[in-house]
Amino acid sequence: MNDTQLDKQQQGSRAEAVQQRPAVAPRVDIFENKDEVLLVADMPGVSKEGLNIHLDHEQLTVEGRVLAETAGRLLAREWRPFDFRRSFLVPKGIDAEKVSAELKQGVLYLHLPKSEAVKPRRVPVQAE
Amino acid sequence: MFGTFYDFDRSFLALDELRRQMDRLWEDFDHGSRGSQAEGNWPRANLADTGAELVLTAEVPGLSEKDLTLTLAQDSLTVKGTRNGKAPDGYSVHRQERNTVQFARTFAFPMAIDPEKTTASVKHGLLTVTLPKAAAVRPRQITVKTS
Repeated sequence: MNDTQLDKQQQGSRAEAVQQRPAVAPRVDIFENKDEVLLVADMPGVSKEGLNIHLDHEQLTVEGRVLAETAGRLLAREWRPFDFRRSFLVPKGIDAEKVSAELKQGVLYLHLPKSEAVKPRRVPVQAE
Repeated sequence: MFGTFYDFDRSFLALDELRRQMDRLWEDFDHGSRGSQAEGNWPRANLADTGAELVLTAEVPGLSEKDLTLTLAQDSLTVKGTRNGKAPDGYSVHRQERNTVQFARTFAFPMAIDPEKTTASVKHGLLTVTLPKAAAVRPRQITVKTS
């Protein structure tokens, strides 16, 4: 292997390292009512700017970048400022156009509204 | 006659099946968790020494300033509060990993701190407490005088 090749490989691996920052799966709750599915995820340290939600067909990916700089010398460490990443398979019948998200105190609330077709509906009875 | 009713009922099984599918489909790809969430370890915290002060950063997702009670002593700090993980009204539960936690955790520091000058803030679910060291233990520079 010559130097150019080696260089390329190293560059390649470096690019990979930037892409794949260490990430952990956030803890989630999944709730449902007649109108929507609600996903709640603990993502402490994630701001609106660092949040990335991707819905492709039935695959939902939630990513959050944690920006927590620790100054000084660490005396005790129980958590690391790892990013959050988790993927789900979303049930059919979600209206992808109407998905909305809120971020409050490091907790993500993702609203996945059901499309009209799967919502339970009242059948009107017509009087003669 | 009852046979007819039975058949009629069966047509609603399609809805149950949809519900079952929804339950099953929420299986995620990558397993892995944020480690133990035992109450004794909530909130998880890091402690750093910047020289003049100690900085404690703790993960408190979903909590704001008013949900936390901080009590300071000379060389310890107690963080108290409750994190509610209940389902919102009218929702059924598919998966629940964010438990309700009632916590009171005391952190002991390796040196005396100045309770008067300690400040705390919560941002994006992270609690940061800045604890200036007591004057007696703060590192200081000594000028060497020439005689």
